Amino acid sequence: MQIYLPIAEIPVNVLVILMLGLATGLLAGMFGIGGGFLATPFLMFIGISPAIAVSTSANQIISASASGLLAHLRKGNVDIKMGIFLMIGGFIGSTLGVSIFRILQKAGQIDIVVGITYVLFLGSIGVLMLIESVKVIVKRKYDLSFEEEAKTNENLRFQKFLNKLDNLPFKVFFPKSSISISALVPIILSIGIGILVALMGIGGGFLMIPAMIYILRMPSNIVVGTSLFQIIFIASNTTFLQAITNHTVDIVLAFLMIVSSAIGAQIGTRLGYKINADKMRTFLALLLLAVCLKMFWNLFTTPAGLYVIEILK
Amino acid sequence: MKKLFLTLFLIFCTLSHVFARPIISGISTNEINIDTNFNGTKILLFGAKGDAGNIIVAVRGPKKNFIVTKKQKLLGVWYNGKRIIFKDSFSYYSLFSTFDDNRVTNHLLSQLELGTNNLKFNTNENNANENNEFQLQLVNKLERDKLYSTGANKIEFLDETLFKVILNFPKTISRGVYTVEIYLINEDDLVSFQSIPIYVNQVGIGADISDYAYQQPLLYGLLSVIIALVIGWIANYLFVRFIGK
Repeated sequence: MQIYLPIAEIPVNVLVILMLGLATGLLAGMFGIGGGFLATPFLMFIGISPAIAVSTSANQIISASASGLLAHLRKGNVDIKMGIFLMIGGFIGSTLGVSIFRILQKAGQIDIVVGITYVLFLGSIGVLMLIESVKVIVKRKYDLSFEEEAKTNENLRFQKFLNKLDNLPFKVFFPKSSISISALVPIILSIGIGILVALMGIGGGFLMIPAMIYILRMPSNIVVGTSLFQIIFIASNTTFLQAITNHTVDIVLAFLMIVSSAIGAQIGTRLGYKINADKMRTFLALLLLAVCLKMFWNLFTTPAGLYVIEILK
Repeated sequence: MKKLFLTLFLIFCTLSHVFARPIISGISTNEINIDTNFNGTKILLFGAKGDAGNIIVAVRGPKKNFIVTKKQKLLGVWYNGKRIIFKDSFSYYSLFSTFDDNRVTNHLLSQLELGTNNLKFNTNENNANENNEFQLQLVNKLERDKLYSTGANKIEFLDETLFKVILNFPKTISRGVYTVEIYLINEDDLVSFQSIPIYVNQVGIGADISDYAYQQPLLYGLLSVIIALVIGWIANYLFVRFIGK
C-alpha cells in the first residue's frame, strides 16, 4: 500500500514505514534509546532526503520518549532537577544544531555531513559496545577476568579528569541522584549532545546514558528515565525549529512512525524484563555496526548521476 | 472524453470556414488537477490555419529556479562540488512545429525563445564553458523526465487546414499557470499569434498539508510536536489499561 508524502514528495510503502517505527520503538523500550540512529539511516536508504529523514525522526523520537518516560515516572525513576539542567544545555545545543543544519543545507553539504557524523558515531559506539558485551559473555562462560591489569592506568587518568570536574564552580546538589556537581558539567555535556541531535535526527540517548553514568555518576536506575525526560524537550525543540526554519518535517511520515513506534516502545519495555540483556546488547552493537558500514559504503560508491538537479524553494 | 474531442473537432471544422482568420485553435481542457493518484495527462489541441506559413506550438510551464550540482570526489568520498543556480527557467517546455528542420534558427525564433537552441538561461556565473556544461545537464535531465521536449515534434495535419497536437504532461509537472502559444510564421514575419492558458492545480489533502507547512510553519511545527506527545501518552495509557505494566 503506497502513500504519497507531501513534504518529502515521494510515495512510500505504508507497511515498510510501520515496521520501521515498530522496530525503533522496540529498541527505545528495551534500551532507553530513541532508536533514531536506526530510523534516520533507514529512511535515507528508502530514498527520503537526509534533511527530511533527520527532522522527521526527531518528531518521532518525541512520542517514543514520552511513552517511555511515563512508565519511568510511575516508578519514580526520574531526576527532574538534573533533567532541567540537561534541558537548558539541550535547548542551546539543539538550537545551534538547527542553525548549523541550515547553513550546511544552503551550502548543499548536509548529506555528506550527516553521513560522516553517522559513520563516526555509530562506528565508535558500536565497536565499544561490542567489545564490552563480548567481554561480559566470555567472562560469564569461562570465568575469566582480564579487566583489572590493563585498565588501572586509564582509570587513574579518568579519575583525575573527574576530580577536575568536581573542582568547577557553581556546585549544585541533586537530591534524587544524591550527587553534588557543578552545574556547568550537565549543561556543557547536553549542549554537545543537543547539536548532534539536530544534525543526526537522534535522541542522543546512546551518548547521554553512558555520559550520565560515567561523568555525572548518577545511579543507574534513574539514568534512563532522566535521559528520556530531557530527550523529549530537545527533540520537541528540534522538530519545532526544523519545521519553521528548514520546512523539513513531513507530518504524514512522522505520524505513521509515531503511531507504530509508540506501540513498539510499550512492547519493548515489557520484553526488556524477559530477554537476556547481554545477548541483546551484542545484537544492538552488531546492528549499529551494520548501519555504520552501509553508511560508510554509501559515502564511497560512485553516485548514479554525477549531476544533481533540484528545484530551489 | 472522445465525445468532447469530436465536438471540438466539429466546431473547428465549421469555424475555419466561417472566419477568415489566419489561425484559430482551442484545447480540450484548461485545467489539470494533480491529486495523489495523478499519473500524467494528455491535452488535445485542435486548430485551423487560413494563411500560408509554418505553425509553431509552444507550451511553457511556470518559471522555477534550478540548482545544478556536480558531484566531486575528495579522498574517495563523494561530495557536492560546484553548483550553478539557473534563475527563472521554465519548469516545462514543449515545442511542436511544421518546420522540416527543428533546429532552424533565425532572428524571430530566437527572440521568441522557440526551440532548444533559443531558450535563454540566466545564471550569476561568468564562466561560459561551465555554464554550458551545467545547462546541458539541466536540459537533459528535464528531457529525461519528459518535462522538456524541444526535439522533432511534428504537427499532424488532418487536411490542408486542420491540425491537431497532443500535449503530454508527465506526473512530475509543477503547479501553476501554463501557456500554450500558437504562432503562424511566414518567412521571417509573425503572421498570427494566439495564447491559451492551462491551470495546473494541486488538489487533495497532500497539497493542503504542504501549503500549511510553508504558510503556517509556526503552527505546523507546534502541531507536529503536540501530535507526537499525545500519541505517546495515548499508547502508554492504552497499554497500562488493557495489558498491564
